[in-house]
This record gives sequence, structure tokens and C-alpha cells, in this order.
Amino acid sequence: MPVVGIQTDLLLDRLGPELAGQLDPPRLVRTLERIGCDVEGMGELRRLRCERCGNLTEHPPDHADPVACDRCGVDFRERPELLAEAGSVEVIRMELLAVRPDIFDPGGLARMLRGYLLGEAAPSYPVDPPRLRVEVDPAMGTERCPRPAIACAVVRGVRLDDDLIKVLMKLQENLHWALGRDRKHASIGVYDLDRIAADGPLRYRPVEPDGLRFVPLGHDPADPAAAITPAEVLEVHPKGRAYRRLVEGWPALPLLEDARGGVLALIPIINSEHTRVRPETTSFFIDVTGTGERIVGKALNVLVTSLVELMPGARIEGVTVARAGEERVTPDLAPQRVRLDPGDAARRIGLDLDRAALAELLRRMGHGVRDPGEGPFEVAVPAWRNDVLHPVDLVEDAAIAYGYHNIAPRLDPTFTVGAALPVEERSVGVREAMAGLGFQEVMTLQLTSEARTFEAMRLPVGERHVLLANPISADETMLRTDLLPGLLGTLAANTHRPLPQRIFEVGDVSFLDAEAPTGAREVRHVAGALCAATAGFADLRPAVEALFAELGWGLATEPDDRPSHLPGRGARLVAVRGEERRAVGHMGELHPEVLEAFHLRHPVVAFEADLTRL
Amino acid sequence: MAEHGTTPAAPAGGASPDGAPEGGGPIRLPETEHRLLERLVTAGAGTEAALAAALGEDQSKVHAAALALADRGLATLEERAWRELSLAAPDASLPDREVIRALDRMGGRGAIPDIPAHGDLDRRAVGQALRWLKARGWILQEGRELALTEAGRAALDEEAPDERLIALLRDTGPLREDAVEGLDVDAALALLAGRRVVRVRERTERRVLPTEAGRAAWPDGVVLRRQVNLLTSAMLQDGGWREVDFRPYDVRAGAARVVPGKTHPFRRILAETRRAFLELGFTEVASPMVESSFWDFDALFQPQDHPAREMQDTFYVARPAEARLPDPAYVDAVRRTHEDGGDSGSVGWRYDWSEALARRPVLRTHATAATIRALAADPRAPRKVFTVAPVFRRETVDYKHLPVFHQVDGIVVDEKASFAMLLGVLSAFYRKMGFERFEFRPAFFPYTEPSVEVFVWFDEKRDWVELGGAGIFRPEVTEPAGCAVPVLAWGLGLERLAMLRHGLTDIRQLYISDLDWLWRAPLCP
Repeated sequence: MPVVGIQTDLLLDRLGPELAGQLDPPRLVRTLERIGCDVEGMGELRRLRCERCGNLTEHPPDHADPVACDRCGVDFRERPELLAEAGSVEVIRMELLAVRPDIFDPGGLARMLRGYLLGEAAPSYPVDPPRLRVEVDPAMGTERCPRPAIACAVVRGVRLDDDLIKVLMKLQENLHWALGRDRKHASIGVYDLDRIAADGPLRYRPVEPDGLRFVPLGHDPADPAAAITPAEVLEVHPKGRAYRRLVEGWPALPLLEDARGGVLALIPIINSEHTRVRPETTSFFIDVTGTGERIVGKALNVLVTSLVELMPGARIEGVTVARAGEERVTPDLAPQRVRLDPGDAARRIGLDLDRAALAELLRRMGHGVRDPGEGPFEVAVPAWRNDVLHPVDLVEDAAIAYGYHNIAPRLDPTFTVGAALPVEERSVGVREAMAGLGFQEVMTLQLTSEARTFEAMRLPVGERHVLLANPISADETMLRTDLLPGLLGTLAANTHRPLPQRIFEVGDVSFLDAEAPTGAREVRHVAGALCAATAGFADLRPAVEALFAELGWGLATEPDDRPSHLPGRGARLVAVRGEERRAVGHMGELHPEVLEAFHLRHPVVAFEADLTRL
Repeated sequence: MAEHGTTPAAPAGGASPDGAPEGGGPIRLPETEHRLLERLVTAGAGTEAALAAALGEDQSKVHAAALALADRGLATLEERAWRELSLAAPDASLPDREVIRALDRMGGRGAIPDIPAHGDLDRRAVGQALRWLKARGWILQEGRELALTEAGRAALDEEAPDERLIALLRDTGPLREDAVEGLDVDAALALLAGRRVVRVRERTERRVLPTEAGRAAWPDGVVLRRQVNLLTSAMLQDGGWREVDFRPYDVRAGAARVVPGKTHPFRRILAETRRAFLELGFTEVASPMVESSFWDFDALFQPQDHPAREMQDTFYVARPAEARLPDPAYVDAVRRTHEDGGDSGSVGWRYDWSEALARRPVLRTHATAATIRALAADPRAPRKVFTVAPVFRRETVDYKHLPVFHQVDGIVVDEKASFAMLLGVLSAFYRKMGFERFEFRPAFFPYTEPSVEVFVWFDEKRDWVELGGAGIFRPEVTEPAGCAVPVLAWGLGLERLAMLRHGLTDIRQLYISDLDWLWRAPLCP
């Protein structure tokens, strides 16, 4: 999960003097942990500005300077004068929670903490009537350009400085990651409203890859070559290269343009340089586009409400989004209505909470609660919350408000009788027997390769093993079918340790099985190996026989020509009980080629048996 | 025993502790005592050092034998203290005489700074000698001038006792005080007191002397007791052990290393984990390592585009190519829950759920696949189920990550189950695993609500360490499975716990093991 640095002085400023005075750093960290944030620590970040495009970045003080601007791509090694120090900031670093992107900027977090600690009711944000209109081309969302959803807003009364520009950038990144799945489901554009021609409707439409030219963010408009086609953006612009996978194979690309055809953005790739937000910007136009209206709307709600928290005095204004004769106004900040049975909620937490206490806990978490006196609460979930799918999600909020640390753990009053799995209990016995015979248990990984399982063991490549579709390395392409190669690997890792070495493993191996529900099943095996300056068949057989006896079987060893063994020195292990004879495994002196394959320089005699048949 | 004349009342094994027969007969002496007595009787008394040299034995052994002979009344020990005199340094000397000689050359008096020029002296030596020269009464000091006294003149021709002692020691090396002849040692040492020229060591010496009984016993009154290394079966059978001494061992000596056969340290932690839940009344279950996406993800309400399901994080299986889905009614209930919440009271994830994606086999990414299977197989309360199982994540191997690790997952299906009870089960488990301080913090998982993470305090790290996640299964999980009561659930990683308990910093050590570590890892740390 990405780690977000939240600027501490901005947070304290938004918390107000009363809270800011109470929350020294340890208390602040403690409080954040109690609401579910994973705090990594507090520290200072160095802020750097790209003098070419104005991009601000933050870096831990001990990190090297960036080699290139991640927005305009200028190489700072060639143009060091374009990388400027822009001060340093104290931040609190936390892992971003995908379900709560609304509390990872100083504004949204302060809103949450004021409610949680002071009981302050969550604010409601008025939305002024729309003045702008966005028309969505009917082709948007078709196979030609499959990005249908769009929601927009205007925010007026914006006052910006470096800190706020940085917060705005981080907020967008948070939303891109948490809700947008790296822009796939939602991507956000923020523009300087005063540079948009709004004397007619804006258009959200498909554009051919070479259908027009515009100057993307980070390109110098004075440069005659700065204006490029969408196809060229994907080829040459850093953001184009980073995000072109999202539009791969699309016949046309999504474009947002103003009333006079000025480009706002090539979506979901890059904004235009012309509409870039500058320190002197006073009004934003914002769009969120994506695959589904719900996520797009939620992302917009988080963004605009946090912006008002960050810039007191700013006002949200609606935008009319028109599609095929249908019109709606975004953002929609109406709360989500959820009915919650207070008795169910208290029982689920395991607390004796009356209605009033439960309602108060929910209010502290920002929810509006209407208690009709009996029956379920009518809960109004704020529009910036994205994680309430079911009333139980409110139960968790109530538990957090109550404080997990205040909940007394209790034991289950219901009596149940425990029972172990027979195969596990049998394995315990086998481990005890093998240890008693002087063997040291080892544990090896279930993942292995055909090279190790078959080639190194001089065996023909089998057809009963489970193969991975996306292995991470050539050494781990399949599930093991034998324990023995793992034992040999362990011996190979211990050639510097004194001999003799006696090791064993009890564990599962896997085989394809068409009868099994998932097409494969595990079989519990036992294997043992003895490595010594002289290690022969006769040195191991008594131990195998003793193990079989512990399991209630006699042992017969019958000649076998398994290629892993030295010819004439390998055997099938046959378990004998009265008339019953079962071939359950093999043992033998390993062939020198096998030893060479594992880089072993001392003889090894080994056995492996199927415990489920013993 | 009777042949040795012991009385019937004597304790079993009636020989006395030193093996001497009680009453009559020759005395049985161990070898060193036997040889020492022989030497004492034939060559006379001697110091232990001399006797040890003569017998070619360690002085400590001779001392032990002498004490034993004394116990038997065959010898006595005499302890004497004496002083050993030696020079503090081989070239130690006194400048005193050279100073008075120089003064004499200067006519019997002179300024202190001029003295070195008239003798083999330096200024420091003159300065140091002044105090002692005055004490001897050889000089008088008047301001910066020194004058030779009568005694000083007399001393020019006759050496003082301390000077003679120094000269003697220079010739002979260290001497016993009583070996110094012709001078008064006490007077010499009195003169040297505080000058650190002659060193005096207090020494003791033991002499061993034969007694009358000892002389009388040699040679016919004693016999040599044979010393042997091993007590053999034959000696026990014919009683021969009574005739011999067992040579003592140096029991302080180290021994060759023995490596025991043991279970793996991590296996023991897995076993402790199983025992903890069995003790708490849980039933153990298992599930296949090759699992369908349905059980691993869909049944747990993880949307099909959830990042955890990406190829980047999960091992997908190419062979077998497809897993079978369970009962179609259940599959359909899961589908509807994803799409619009179904009958669970949820709004759902709002997308088109794909059965084909649910059929894709993966390597089980968490042991919760086993507990949800157990729940769906029998959703009736009350029920407590657990599993300890290896799980797979698509991680590159490094010191912190392996593609395989172990989890203990469990569920409690109970009408009375609550979040407080979940905290109770987790507390009971971690207490059983030996942890005293833990705390519960909110967390967010796709299939539990409320959710919690367990942090355990580690003194060595002075920090809280996150060990696992838990929660109450969401209704979107339990409702399709046919379960109407709360289900407490947890999945706790075990490798990290093992590493902390065994002080490991590299997780690979658990699986690509150094045998030396396995051999040494204590069974009961």
C-alpha cells in the first residue's frame, strides 16, 4: 500500500486550536492508530520544484535528487538548474487505506478527528446551481471509446500556495490509487476555470489518435513543436507512456474540450498545458471519468469536500452533465440512507449499548442519525464515504468510535469438543518416530521446478504435476510431487556441516486428480536421507523398517530400477501386514549423477513413502 | 565380604571408602601413593616439589597422594613458610655509593647540580638518592650543598648490608632467605624498605616425611592397587572390581558433539498453534492447495477486479486448467451478492460477475479458503473450526518474503458470537503462544466487518508487531453460505511469530535451513 505524507502543520491548523493543543505527536499517532490508520512515523520531507513545469515533489531528506521530472520528463542531470529547492515540510506518514481515501489529506483527516474527538457534527456542503454544462458524446462508453462515466464540479473561491497545490496533487493520487485502481476505474482532472471557454457546453467525446494537436502538460507552449497528437502523447509524454496501457486497442481516445474546441485533457492520460492550475488560480473546473458512475461520483465527492475543508471560503458549484437527452447535476452530495437496527449493532460488537449511546457513536464518525424511538435508525452516511455497502459497515464505525481498546475481550460461552485431523495426528507420530531414530526434521518449500523434480533425479518428466500459469522464477514452476529433491537441496546447502547428516521431512506433495473438486489433491509423504562418508543401503534400511513397524506394518524391500538409484541398490518399499502387501514408496543409494546434479560430494541413501497408504 | 572380616551390620559394599580392607592384611595403595611411600622410605623425606620431580609426577598428584598417606598414618606433612629474595630487575642497583664517591672527589662537599659531573650519575639518580643518603647518615644537606659526614667517609670503604645483598642476588639470582650467609638480611631489608629494588616473596613449602608406621609398612605391609580405565561386565561378574582402582577422569573436559534428532523449530510452533486451538475446543479442517478462485475469493466477497486477484499477486494454475464449482444454488447466491447484494442486505459491488473467472484455479492465497469451505459445508451453529496451512503469494524470495508461508485460520459460528468474543479468542490464542502484551487496532478487510489487527509487543524490538487480521464475516459472505448467525474469523501469519521467537532476521532460514541452526535450536526455548 502506498504511504502518504500528511503535512502536520496544515493538519493542526485545520483541527483548530483546542485539538491542536491536545494532540502532541505521540497522542496524535495513538489516535490515528485507534481509528485504523497504520502510522509509519513522523518526519521531514524535502520539497523540490521543477522550474520548467512547476511540478512539486516531496522526498525524504536522505534520498537522492530525482533524475527527471515525472510530469514533464525534463532530465535534471542535463538541466540541473531546473530543479529547485522549495523548502521542507513536516509530515505524518501513513499507509493509505483503500476504503477511506477521505481521511488522507489534512482537510478530510481533520474533519474526521474533530468528530471523533470533539463530537463535532460532520458539515454539510452546499452545492451552488450549475452554470457550466458538459455534453457527453453518445459514442462514449461504446466499443469505440469504452470510458462512459463522467462527473464534474466547479470550485470557486480557491486560494492556492505551494502547500495546497501539493495537497491537491496528493489527494488526486490517493483517489487514483484507492478508488481509481491507478486511473483504470476513475481518473481526475483539475483545471483553471478561467482558462476554459465556457460560453457554450464543454464536450466529452472520442478523438481519433491523430485527430487533433494540443500542448500537453509540461510542454512549453512557446515551442512550435509542443503541440502533438494524442497518438504522439502516448509515445513521447512520460504520462502517456505510463498510462497508455489503459487505452490499448481503443479505436478512439476520450477527450474533454471546451466550448471553442480548446483541449482540457486527453483522458485518462494528461491535461493540457493551457488549463494548468497555477498559484494564481481562483476557480477550478474538475472532472472525474471512469468505468462506472458510482466510483466516479464518489471520487468527485471526496475531492470537492476535502477542497472546501482545505480552503475555507471555497464554494462548490454543480455542473450539468447531459447525455442522450438526459441531464443530471454533479456532484451529488446527498447522503446515503442506511437503516441500522441498534440492537443488532450492539450485539454484533458485544456491548451493552442503549440507542442514545449508539447514535452518539455513529455521530462521532460523521453520520447523521435519526432515531424514530423504536425500530431501526435512519442513518445518513456522508457523501464522501465510499465504504458503506451494508449496515454492518456502520457497526464497525460504532466499534471504532467506542474504541477497540475499551472493549473487554470475552470467551465463547458455548461448549464445543475439539478434534484433530487424523492425517495431522499421524504426522505428529511419524515425526516423533523419525526424530527418535536420529533424524533431524527439515521443512522445504512446496514450489519447485521440473528441472529439479525430474531431470536432476534422472526421471522422465511426469504428467501428474500441478503447473503454475504465472511462475515468478524458473525455480518455482510447479508444486512438488516428491519430498526427496527438497531433502537433497537441504543437504546441498549444508555441505560445510559435519557428517553424518540424517534429515527427514513430513509434508504434502500434489498430484493432478480429475476426481478432485479443484483438479488436484495433496498426499502426505514422509522422506528421509542419510548423507555420510560411507552411506549404504544397509545403513538406512533398519530405520525404515523401524518406522514401518511404528505404523503397524512390516517392511519388504523388492528390487526396483528407479533411475534415481544406483542400479541394483534401489528398492520398492512394500508394506506388509498379514496377506496384505502395498507398494508405498522407494529407497536406495542415490545415483552419482543425481548427487552431481545437487552438487553433493558424499554418498546419500534415502527413502520416500506415501503416509496415507501406511 | 565375610572374607574381609566385615561385620554383618556393615553396609552393603563394606569396603571403606579408600578401598583399604578393614582389619589385617596388607594395605592396598593406589599407584601414586605406593610409589611415594617407596620413595619416602628409601630416599627419605623431601619437599613435594622434589618428590614430584623424582617420581616424574604432577606436584598436585603428589600432594593428593601425600594427604592420602597421611590419612593412613604412613606419612606426615610439614608446612614451612619462608621468604624468597630476588632483584626487582636484573640490573637493579643503588646510586648511593656513587654519590658519596663523587662527593669525595669534590673534596667532601659540593653543590647538588655539580655532582653528576664527578661520577657515573645523572641528575635524577642524585635527586632520588638524597633521601636515602640522609637516612644512612652519610651526608648533610645545607641548602643546595651536600657535605660528606664521618659515617659517609667511613662508608666509602665498607659496603652496607643492603648493598651486599643486592650484589649477592645479582650473582646468584633468587635466593631463599635462609641461604643468605654473612649478612644481616633483616637489616638489609630495613635499609631497602620502600626502594623497590629487592623483591620479597612469601613462600610455603610442604615436606613429606615417612612416619614410623610408614617405614614399618614398606615393603611387606602394602600392595599396589591396580588402576583401570573401564568397569567391565567381567569385573562385575567375578567381583574383580573390588581389587582395582578406577583411574579418575578429568570430568571437566569437553566431549565430542552429539546431534539429536529433533522436529523443526517452526514445526514445533505450528504444533503449538494446533494444540492451542484444539485445547480451545476447535475442530481441525483442511482444504486443497490448488483452490478455485471461487473459494479463495468469490465466496469471500472479494470483487473480481480486486487487486489481490491480479496475476501480479496470486499464483494462477495452468494445469489443472479449471476447477469445478460447488452447488449451483450457492454459486448463484454468491453471484447475486457480488452483483447487487442479493439477499444479504448489501448493495453489492455492482458489476457483472463471471463464472469463468471463479473457475480459475489458484494456489490458495489464504487459509480462509478452508474455513469458508467448512462453513458452507455445514453452516449450523455452534461450530468452531480451524486450520493450519501453507498459503501462497506471488513474492520474490528475499529475507522478508517467501512465496509460501503458513497461516492459522479459524471461525466461530455461534448465535452469541460478537466482536468482543473475537477479541477473547485472539487473546486466548496469543496468551497460549506466550505473549502477554497485545492490542487490537481497527483494520479493513474485504470480507470482515468489523475488522481488527492484532499487534503483539516485542521487548527485543521495543515495538508493536502486527501478527494477524480478524473480524466478523460480512453478511455478504455468510448469507450465501446459508449461515444466519455471526461468524468470527481470523487469519494469523505464523512465520513472523516464529522468526521473532527464534530471533531470526531472514525468513529463508526456516525453509532453506542451516543444519547447524536446526541442531542447536533449543527444544524448549
